[in-house]
Amino acid sequence: MAEFSWEIRSPLHRALVSGPFGAHGEGGVTLTEIRNFDLVQVMARRGKAAEMASAANAHFGVAVPETPKTAGAAEATLIWSGPDQFFVLSKGGRHQVGSLAPGFAASASLSDQSHARVLIRICGDKARALLAKLSSIDLYPAAFPVGTAAATSMDHTSVTLWRGNDARDGQAVFNVLVFATFAESLWHTMLDSGAEYGVEIGHSEDLA
Amino acid sequence: MRITCPFCGERELGEFTYLGDAKPMRPAPGASEDEVYDYVYLRDNIAGVMDENWYHGGGCRAWLKVTRNTLTHEISAVEPAAGAGARQVAK
Repeated sequence: MAEFSWEIRSPLHRALVSGPFGAHGEGGVTLTEIRNFDLVQVMARRGKAAEMASAANAHFGVAVPETPKTAGAAEATLIWSGPDQFFVLSKGGRHQVGSLAPGFAASASLSDQSHARVLIRICGDKARALLAKLSSIDLYPAAFPVGTAAATSMDHTSVTLWRGNDARDGQAVFNVLVFATFAESLWHTMLDSGAEYGVEIGHSEDLA
Repeated sequence: MRITCPFCGERELGEFTYLGDAKPMRPAPGASEDEVYDYVYLRDNIAGVMDENWYHGGGCRAWLKVTRNTLTHEISAVEPAAGAGARQVAK
């Protein structure tokens, strides 16, 4: 009898090779895949947007973003993903469908996207230069401050983009959530775009 | 051409898909064959300002009603189509 082993692997398992890529010298861009996160999409049912917002407020203690922004809650980030819907991004099983469902039972539909998306973090001196090749969103600091989000397309692929808290060295941090099956393609496009600046590639389980 | 999505802001045309005239309304059940034929097949070919349905599939995935001048491509209004987002339906 055949023996199976089910191993959870990142969709970037083959494509991601840790280390430097492209131009030599100091990496101008750092590309980090964030692994093992929990992601739940919450979508208001017809006519229940206000109820969903109060349920979210009761559960997370913060106002749910109603415009393209993010909201930081205890051990979770709420990310706007469209009208009357948002993502809950967390780790360690703290905010999964099972624990969220009772609070939203009367107002919203939940769907587990943890293994359906890939999360890529882009930072470094040339992060905006790389993203400018892929996105028409204005990422200038004043136009896209910390906590701004966007549902947009990169390389004809739908993504959710948001600016996280700045890195310890003060540099801007951009996060991209992309559908798992499109992740490898977008990853290669990002590498091609960043090659001239030098890319430092890695992966992490640290959401912060 | 750019479209200012009421949810996302100004975005490039590539994020949107065109459906067509926003005017035809589905006839009531039991409507005559002529009315259904008209709804399914017959369209005005407007040279000027018309309401159109567009889909922001490369962004927030909402349906929009765009008022556009077909001669100049000038867009004078964009609003959520009926049913875009749970909040709008509630009104």
